[in-house]
Amino acid sequence: MNQPARVLSPVPSPASARSAMERIATQLGRAVQGKETQTQLVVTCLVAGGHVLLEDVPGVGKTTLAEALARTCGLSFARVQFTADLMPADILGAQVFHAQSATFQFRPGPLFRQLVLADELNRAPPRTQSALLEAMAQGQVSLDGSTHALPAPFTVVATQNPVDLSGTYPLPDSQLDRFMVRMSLGHPAPEVEARLLATRGGSPPLEGVETVSGPEEVASLRSLASELKLDATVSEYVVRLATATRQHGDIERGASTRAVLALGAASRAQALWEARDFVTPGDVRAVLVPCWAHRVLLRSAVQGVTARDEAAHLLEEISRKVPAPR
Amino acid sequence: MRPGTRLRLVLRDLGSGSAFASMAVSGQLPTWTLALYGVALVCALAGRRLFATRAKLTALLLLAVAGVLGMNVLAGSVNLVVAACAFAGLIAAHRLLSAPDPATDGQVQLSGLLMVAGGAALSGEIIYGLFLVAFGVLSSLSLALGVVEAAVPEGEPVPVRQVMRPLAVGVGFAVAGAVAFFILFPRLNWNMMGPRVSPGLGAATTGFSNTVRLGGAGTIKGNPRIVLRASLSPDPGNALLDAYWVGRTYDIFDGQEWTSVSGVRSASQRVVTLRPGGESLVHQRVELLPAYGGRTLVALETPSKLGNAVANTPMGSRRVALQELGGGEVRFQEPSLGYTYEAYSLPPGGSGHEFRDLPSDEQDALLTLPEGLDVRVGQTAARVLNGEREPLAAARKLADWLQQGHAYTLELSGDVADPLADFLFERKAGHCEHFATALTLMLRTQGIRARLATGFFGGERVDGSYIVRAGDAHAWTHVLVPGRGFVTVDATPPAHRASQSSQVLQQLLSFYEALEARWRSAIVDYSFRDQMDVARSLVRPPRKRGDPDAPPSRMPPLRAWGAALLAGLGAYAAWRLLSRFLERERPHEATRFVDAVEAQLASARIDRREDESLEELDARLTREHHPLSPALVPVTRRYLEARFGGRPLRQGEAEQLLGTLKRAIAAEARRTAAESREPRARAS
Repeated sequence: MNQPARVLSPVPSPASARSAMERIATQLGRAVQGKETQTQLVVTCLVAGGHVLLEDVPGVGKTTLAEALARTCGLSFARVQFTADLMPADILGAQVFHAQSATFQFRPGPLFRQLVLADELNRAPPRTQSALLEAMAQGQVSLDGSTHALPAPFTVVATQNPVDLSGTYPLPDSQLDRFMVRMSLGHPAPEVEARLLATRGGSPPLEGVETVSGPEEVASLRSLASELKLDATVSEYVVRLATATRQHGDIERGASTRAVLALGAASRAQALWEARDFVTPGDVRAVLVPCWAHRVLLRSAVQGVTARDEAAHLLEEISRKVPAPR
Repeated sequence: MRPGTRLRLVLRDLGSGSAFASMAVSGQLPTWTLALYGVALVCALAGRRLFATRAKLTALLLLAVAGVLGMNVLAGSVNLVVAACAFAGLIAAHRLLSAPDPATDGQVQLSGLLMVAGGAALSGEIIYGLFLVAFGVLSSLSLALGVVEAAVPEGEPVPVRQVMRPLAVGVGFAVAGAVAFFILFPRLNWNMMGPRVSPGLGAATTGFSNTVRLGGAGTIKGNPRIVLRASLSPDPGNALLDAYWVGRTYDIFDGQEWTSVSGVRSASQRVVTLRPGGESLVHQRVELLPAYGGRTLVALETPSKLGNAVANTPMGSRRVALQELGGGEVRFQEPSLGYTYEAYSLPPGGSGHEFRDLPSDEQDALLTLPEGLDVRVGQTAARVLNGEREPLAAARKLADWLQQGHAYTLELSGDVADPLADFLFERKAGHCEHFATALTLMLRTQGIRARLATGFFGGERVDGSYIVRAGDAHAWTHVLVPGRGFVTVDATPPAHRASQSSQVLQQLLSFYEALEARWRSAIVDYSFRDQMDVARSLVRPPRKRGDPDAPPSRMPPLRAWGAALLAGLGAYAAWRLLSRFLERERPHEATRFVDAVEAQLASARIDRREDESLEELDARLTREHHPLSPALVPVTRRYLEARFGGRPLRQGEAEQLLGTLKRAIAAEARRTAAESREPRARAS
């Protein structure tokens, strides 16, 4: 497995896409053990071209997961620790006067990496948070009148601690809506924890993780995923699900159009796990909760983890009630 | 037994009962079959299935019954159709008493259909129609409940209440739809073999015997049943006909009863000419109904020619020959429930020069008196006539005397030795036979030739023809007038000549008869031509009453507008339904395939969540390493490809995949069965 990122055919088949995704997921599993579902979801999101929001208490491997992803896929990586005094320029970069040529030159910030870990995103002030908006939405940064493209494939993995909310700036809905999936890792299972103690000892968790892919492969996976067939009945199903969230009595604001698009994209990537070149209702249902749970605004006053749980519960209820095409 | 099952069986049994009743109303089934079926039905309704055990042994009973019926048929006492119907009823009875399993249910319904068909062959009357509808409704409900019951898992209650309401609505719609279909769509006449007869309200009530016996109660006068229907030409147009319908005459009285010189007068023939007719004959087209019950033709006084007789039987209609007997009686050669024939009669006023044609012995018979006739009869006659010798005048005088001095009564109890003397001098009350006998004999004592005639008097106009009731049976006197022949003189008071039944009963029966006639014309004899007539009558412009010369309106009548509106509404509703049906999403071919797959999986008893799709089920079984998973995976994959991937199933592929799955399920079932049989001890 020590090969460099191989050059794949420009249009890989769904079968080869699945093996690539499984390869990546296996490496991620080495870094974060016992979390197959979550690692698969991260890969799905990567292939779908979305950004990931990790909500968890500290110490369960959020950062490890992001770093492992960067290393596995051979992506340039930057970790930005968001703090209350972080300014937009700190992440975007700045115009710097170049003395020799007597001109201002743009010095890219840490955002100009293929994978950016935005750690504790909600600790930064809204101004800095929204500096991320354009980068996440368009893959570019506009600064002082000039536009700078971010390296492709550009992916943001943001983390936030849902419990310790003191001194934080809760993410606005517009910001939340830009994350394709939200997930939490949770504590590992007791036996996994015991194994960690026994085997890893003091060695850094990323040690065994190998680079098994590359940006080109990620890009070709993305292009393949975006071309998967979405049958009219399945897209209707997605829309019906969205309509159901908008009409549900316990939901203040249902899924947005961006949410519908994100669900479609995530479903396409999900279909690749089965080496299929088309999307099924089962794919949609598999990614429905991670895709939408953070996007619906509940009528009840609960916040944080509880709100996510309740939203997930409501979405499951909706997916049971809205008949899937068959 | 579940409550729904009980209800279903009761409905089933009642439906079978209705079907049997549709045959029984014809009145032709042997009484013992009625009794047997009745007992079986009561037992079945009470839940006592006596034949639930030893089904084969009890089937022998049916064999015995078939033997009895067959012998009856051979002996000629039972019609073959009737025997077949009776046997169908007894099969149904046997099935009712058997253990109620699905096969029995089917047989009960099937025998019900047979019985309904038998009922159609035996009678086509209105009560049959009611029972037919009852059978249809009850059996439909029972069948539908059976389907619901089969769909509800074992051990769960059948949702009877929820089911019955939509079922009842559905059955109501079905009946209404059948009626609409019946009226609107061209169809063959039920009655393909000519008019049928139905004995309706039981056995016949009138009839002609060879004798008329004095005495006894005149219960027949109170019977309002209709025995004959006749259309006359020229049509007198009166609401009540003041006419005598003669059946036969009697010559000889022995003090108790009248007889006549009987014997066959002519060979069987199609047309019997009794006496030569003149120019202006009255033509009658007569239908004898089953209530008539006799084989003697009747015609308006005085009959000249009778013929074109047709017997109406359950097997159809056929021509029958006629025969002339003594007493001027004309008979049908074959027995039947009903007849139609034509007759020509001389106009009222006499029978022509008949006297000359009469043989001398018959002329003498018209003067014979019974032995031991009370002398007072002759004395009284002489006293009343007071020298009057002209036969007609004398007869009228005597009739007047009788009407004034004697009361009409139907209540005569007990036999007396000399009924005539009793009537004339003791009781001074009697019915038509007494009056007619007294007049005839009193005339004879005075040397005037006379005879007794029996038949009917009267006729009510109904729908352009005349009906005669059983109660119209009557007796009167024929006086032989030299040069004119026999002339009718009636000694019975005019008010008591026609039917003596109660007005209410008569009206009820008339109502029933009208209904029955409607049923016949609108159902039994309703044909394509009638449908056309209905359609034409809708658009025919209304005729102005009282002004026949007024130009007909150019505008279609109101009913045409109404019909057009109704038709438009119907068409709109049909279009809405149809368009909704067409717009409805057609199940994808792959969806039908997945339905079949899921049906097979259900038969394999795989645990499944309620909202679990095949895709999810397949994934779960794969995770659980279920033994069926290897067979299911390719099936699921092909389904998903065909449904969502745009790669439709090839010809025959669905069957092939299903076959593989079926074999895998069967193999798995065998394996589990073998495992459970395997002794556990071996493992230990």
